[in-house]
Amino acid sequence: MANTPAPHGHSSAHRKHTNPVLVFGILTIATVFEVVVTLFHLPQNVIVPILLAIAFVKAGLVAAYYMHLRYEKWIYTAIFITPALFAAFLIFTLAV
Amino acid sequence: MNQTTVAPRPISAEAAHANENRKFGMWLFLSSELLIFAGLIGAFVLTRRNAFQNGLEWWEPNAFSLALVSVNTFILLASSLMVVLGIEAIRVDAQRKLQRYLILTAILGAMFLGGQAIEYSLLIFEEGHSFADPFGTAFFTLTGIHGLHVFVGVLWCLMTLLVARRGTFSSYNYTTVEIFGLYWHFVDLIWVIIFTVVYLTN
Repeated sequence: MANTPAPHGHSSAHRKHTNPVLVFGILTIATVFEVVVTLFHLPQNVIVPILLAIAFVKAGLVAAYYMHLRYEKWIYTAIFITPALFAAFLIFTLAV
Repeated sequence: MNQTTVAPRPISAEAAHANENRKFGMWLFLSSELLIFAGLIGAFVLTRRNAFQNGLEWWEPNAFSLALVSVNTFILLASSLMVVLGIEAIRVDAQRKLQRYLILTAILGAMFLGGQAIEYSLLIFEEGHSFADPFGTAFFTLTGIHGLHVFVGVLWCLMTLLVARRGTFSSYNYTTVEIFGLYWHFVDLIWVIIFTVVYLTN
């Protein structure tokens, strides 16, 4: 009984999830990498796209594995990805 | 590792349907929040660009403030991990584990707010920034609204903890925890972007 997945109203519960500690490790390493990269004082037009790309990948990992979008119904992904793409485009265009 | 004394009971089809609707509503809410933060981050970037173009004073994080905010980022990422582990615990009816993870989440959230308070006090009292200068306006608005979200998240976490202590949640009924988790992870996701845009791409 203890390991019985919830059968009602939890579509994400039926699939085995990626180890969250592994995702946390990747997020931490990526954050450390971001901070270290800034110490090299690379040109802005080089460093900003790199840092933003890493940040968007990190945000994607949080959405996919912590918010379980990877295992949820497609409609949740559609609802969230639409403004997310707009937001990413806006931030990238303004910051780079 | 079953810690419940009463076997969890399946919920009705109506309740399951209501849970799906609540999650759907939460995703809609988060989508609108995403656009709000996109606007705020965009405003910050534009204000910074305008300051540089017009030779106005701007702020550059020193080693201490970069270290402080990096630790704060780590704290928020760790708090998200606690929420995920809490949800995994309740999926196997480990009620005590869920409560422990919620307590850790609230503590880490409060630590993040403490770090932000230290940062604000340094900026205001040592560096003399305020809402009167362009940097202060953009910075305090963006990070302040995010901090407000973290504060609401900590309160929400404590309320979820109170409900969890009554033994309400089980492997059949944990949508309330999931919805809180969605909010908390969203706050974390937004911080990942703010951290890069505000502190690293200066």
